[in-house]
Amino acid sequence: MQIIENLKVKEKAYIEKLENGLTVIIIPKHNTSKKYVIWGTNFGSIDNKFIAPEDKEETSIPDGVAHFLEHKMFEQANGTNSLDTLTALGVEANAYTTNDHTAYLFEATDNFYPALDELMDYVQNPYYTDENVEKEKGIIAQEIKMYDDQPEWQVYMNAIQLMYKNNPINIDIAGTVESISGINKDILYKVYNTFYHPSNMVLTICGDFEPNDILQEIKNRLKKDIKKQGTIKRIYPQEPEEIVAPEKTVEMEVNMPLFTIGFKDEINNNEKDIVKKHIAIEIILYMLLGRSSEAYKKLYEAGDIIMQPQLEYETSKQYSHVLISGQSTNPQNVVKMLKNQIEKYKTSGLDEQQFNRVKKKIYGDYITEYNDVGNIARMFMADYFKGINSFDYLEEYEQVGIEYANQILAEIFDFNKMVVSVVKGK
Amino acid sequence: MEYNKQEIKKGINLHIIKTDKFKTNLLAVFITTPLKREQITNNALIPMVLRRGNMINKTQEEISIHLEEMYGASFDCGIEKTGDNQALKFYLEVINDEFLPTKENLIKDALNTLLNIVFNPLTQNNQFNKEYIESEKQNLKQIIESKKDNKAKYALERCIECMYKNEPYGLYKYGYIEDLEKINQQNLYEYYKELINKCKIDIFVSGQVEKEEIQQIINENTQIQNLQERIPEYVVNNPSKENQESEEIKKVNESMDITQGKLVIGMDIFGEGEKLKYIASVYNAILGGTATSKLFQNVREKASLAYTASSSYIRPKNNIMIRAGIEIENYDKAIEIIKQQLEDMKQGNFTNEELEISKTGITSTVKFIPDEQDTCLSYYFGQELSNSKSTIEEYIQNIEQVTHEEVKQLANNIKINTIYFLKN
Repeated sequence: MQIIENLKVKEKAYIEKLENGLTVIIIPKHNTSKKYVIWGTNFGSIDNKFIAPEDKEETSIPDGVAHFLEHKMFEQANGTNSLDTLTALGVEANAYTTNDHTAYLFEATDNFYPALDELMDYVQNPYYTDENVEKEKGIIAQEIKMYDDQPEWQVYMNAIQLMYKNNPINIDIAGTVESISGINKDILYKVYNTFYHPSNMVLTICGDFEPNDILQEIKNRLKKDIKKQGTIKRIYPQEPEEIVAPEKTVEMEVNMPLFTIGFKDEINNNEKDIVKKHIAIEIILYMLLGRSSEAYKKLYEAGDIIMQPQLEYETSKQYSHVLISGQSTNPQNVVKMLKNQIEKYKTSGLDEQQFNRVKKKIYGDYITEYNDVGNIARMFMADYFKGINSFDYLEEYEQVGIEYANQILAEIFDFNKMVVSVVKGK
Repeated sequence: MEYNKQEIKKGINLHIIKTDKFKTNLLAVFITTPLKREQITNNALIPMVLRRGNMINKTQEEISIHLEEMYGASFDCGIEKTGDNQALKFYLEVINDEFLPTKENLIKDALNTLLNIVFNPLTQNNQFNKEYIESEKQNLKQIIESKKDNKAKYALERCIECMYKNEPYGLYKYGYIEDLEKINQQNLYEYYKELINKCKIDIFVSGQVEKEEIQQIINENTQIQNLQERIPEYVVNNPSKENQESEEIKKVNESMDITQGKLVIGMDIFGEGEKLKYIASVYNAILGGTATSKLFQNVREKASLAYTASSSYIRPKNNIMIRAGIEIENYDKAIEIIKQQLEDMKQGNFTNEELEISKTGITSTVKFIPDEQDTCLSYYFGQELSNSKSTIEEYIQNIEQVTHEEVKQLANNIKINTIYFLKN
């Protein structure tokens, strides 16, 4: 096993690639009783066109299949439901689908190994029937409608759609009531057989484990007759550099308007650079609109915002963008202040004292990530799919200087690639 | 993990949770006072004013800068209804010295910073800062008016208000707009001083800390020294309700522009005592607390009526709240299925397996508590407010002792109080 150690946060990660292609990441934590395991596949809502390794023909699938399949993984041939089985063992089991991956997980104090049996069994044994696929459509339709009533989700989706013309990230993860009506068991099996091969998956585990022992336990639970798989050719539409449109405002029943400001970025190809860039962007964002920033102070004093907006950089192998989202009585003023501040920093450079202080803050944020076994496991998995090992953030941290940050500021915070999505009251 | 509580002055407790599970130390001050219509808006406004500035860091910006220098210590505050009390909560999280890139001692600075925010507010001439008061009144107005923004939460809130009309628990935790105009920098400061002198105060410190060191910091802190002894005014969370035969079910329908109907059913549990709470937790888990529960299985999995179908137990008030997001035209169907589940509970139509699964579900959640720093604080605070001293182990034992018969009996002492439906 490959061992990576980080001396700042005082943790180690053990990484092994098994013969069948599965990557296992183990982060031992000896002083906790909570254990967390998450098994993810590099298959999300954006992977809707591909050529399977054994095929010559391209396969197109309806929107929402990755999420639908996640729902359907729990049902077993013997009539049981794995979510019930895991719940009965007293573990907290769950699953989720994102734009670029799908994950199955549980956290436990007791009954860890019986639960691991069940998790690894159900993820390796799909069971789809016409009947159980039909039944799920009603449940997912309600899930979609639940999101329809959430202004946070609407304001986010609109921002994404303002940025992306062709990239399927512009489609709701769950699809639409219409698109899921076209899903059947054959589609689910096709997708399962293509994307749920161990070589497309990573299993991450965090808790009080001896790395070699737990690795063996995982190996014991893997199917033995898995054939090696060739490469899946994923087909993504060409995405222009430009945004689709700069602004969109919709009305919903809300009191305080919600906003999401986005900056579309290019796709990052160099993994080492992503981390450095990500750190720089986090520092810049906080300098622009964080609690100690000038813009925040002015907006707060003007009564335009009550809380610091959420500041994030989302990046994957297929999309990258900055998102600034929050609630404001006057979103246009937030945009104006933000633009002023960006202009100011672009002209005179980032303030050095502030930069160093915010950098210290970011360090604390990274350390805090390691408070919870679940967070650690999820972070290592999500980063793995981006080609990153999570410790890199603490390793690269020192390398991010003010000059580099100034350069990133100029590159990323380009007003031509800025979008503003607003949800306001009727 | 080692929990220690001591009274530093009458009515003021210091709780120390010594644990090496985290990278951070979590500090908190909780101010508890009875829910009262006259004071609710004042209480909601106070944390918002306090976070604006104190005598040491006079502005929000100064506070933020100070926290950033401490490797991004994070401060948060808020207001909560807990039983018939309103709790003003203040938190500060700071990384443990062991993980700092340079050798520093942050805990003392962090604790003093938090105590300054709560107990040493910015004042002039015995008044709060006028500008802060005016701007926070505006902000609170916004918060109160935004109640409807989260539809699912709104529906739950409205149902509770209907159940507790004209009672403290029916009050909205953020208060009322009509109170705001009466509040000014002078009368709010007067009220603040009164509150601080009478309320229950609990200070929590969790992390890799030494008891003696913390005690010393607290004892040397001027703000703490200035606090008076008090017989704290608060309501012990030990409700008991008598079954009133004649009560009819209240039905409330409200409309909003939404696509999915939000159904909330509020129920009363009749009875009293410590044991009842454990039985009620188990009842709730069987009915709607987990993925194997009756509501999840029947409303969601079998009838495909909903994505969310669950129930939760409000321990300090002995209520169970059922919630489901459904198609508006499926209202009758959903009510019928839910009522059938309640009937099944009354008849004792739940298996021993369902009982055991539910107990395991609860105990395993409880076992997570020591591994979650904020949950752990909340657990001990909950114990504090209900005057019980159960350790996590005792809590688990009490859950394990609940029997089938006890749950069935309890089911017959539960009644629907209000059915609330938010539709379009």
